[in-house]
Amino acid sequence: MSSYQALNDMTTKEVVAPPSASPEVFQQLGQITRQLHDTLTELGVMPQLRNAAEGLPDARSRLNFIVRKTGEAAETVLNSVDQAKLEHTRIVDTTRAIAESILADPVRAVASGSLMNFVCEVEAATQRIDAHLTDIMLAQDFHDLTGQIIAKVVALAGQLEDSLVKLLLQAAPAEQPGRLEANLLNGPVIDPEGGNDVVTNQGEVDDLLESLGF
Amino acid sequence: MTHSTDLKFLVVDDFSTMRRIVRGLLKEMGCSNVEEAEDGVVALARLKAQSFDFVISDINMPNMTGFDLLKAIKADAALKHLPVLMVTAEARKEDIILAAQSGAAGYIVKPFTKATLEDKVQKIMLKLAATA
Repeated sequence: MSSYQALNDMTTKEVVAPPSASPEVFQQLGQITRQLHDTLTELGVMPQLRNAAEGLPDARSRLNFIVRKTGEAAETVLNSVDQAKLEHTRIVDTTRAIAESILADPVRAVASGSLMNFVCEVEAATQRIDAHLTDIMLAQDFHDLTGQIIAKVVALAGQLEDSLVKLLLQAAPAEQPGRLEANLLNGPVIDPEGGNDVVTNQGEVDDLLESLGF
Repeated sequence: MTHSTDLKFLVVDDFSTMRRIVRGLLKEMGCSNVEEAEDGVVALARLKAQSFDFVISDINMPNMTGFDLLKAIKADAALKHLPVLMVTAEARKEDIILAAQSGAAGYIVKPFTKATLEDKVQKIMLKLAATA
């Protein structure tokens, strides 16, 4: 039987009819809660659970960052593609026009400067297209940035999951805990990032290094 | 003075997309002699097996981080002359200071622009030429 199946069995057994609201029940519930709290504290579960819960708002902001970053990348790519296609269409139209003028009167096409203008226009347009392609390439950096964030959020989810599994183990009937595999409890450790002690752009990096004499 | 276009670069990043971006930008800067490594361990092996002029490294990587790679390079008599430019998403001031104190030649935070990379590479090369 898998650990998740065991966990399911265990949680299913926990679902029982609600107790009546008598003072004895509340007293008993209080004792169990205290016992549970003491046990959890001894096991060191509570700090882990608290850490995981504290990490949640950060996880939300990280996920929002991913949404924003991928959205910006998509916007950049689509805008650059639109611009590059526009340049491409201009080149096609200009090429057709110059081809017609060469066919009609080759000498005049050269003498009037139309041919040279065309060459200059194409060169300028290809430079602009190249800049758009560079923008598209740079927009792909979202993969690296969002990948790192997803890894941290997944680690946080794993920590939370482990804490909840431990909580369930403590809340389960005495004969249940041993049925869970030990490796389910080994969670990753989150290394929360500092809040104010970070730079927000390259200029701040340069200023910091310069202030330190580097 | 050695022009950056003549240099052999090693780009170290665990994300292949970022390696391709840096390689592409270097190519646009005229630097086509670029090799890649996916982490510090592979990078260090490449550096010991071949001759490179410039290392551009991420920090947060599996197996061996960019910090450990930087320290290993600076601790190796045959490699310590190599300029190491850190290109990373780590924006904590303590990381930037640690990188500088560990011997990094420069520090770029992601996301960055082509102009930033070009500026840092050129400045590092000018500094190296001035001290040579």
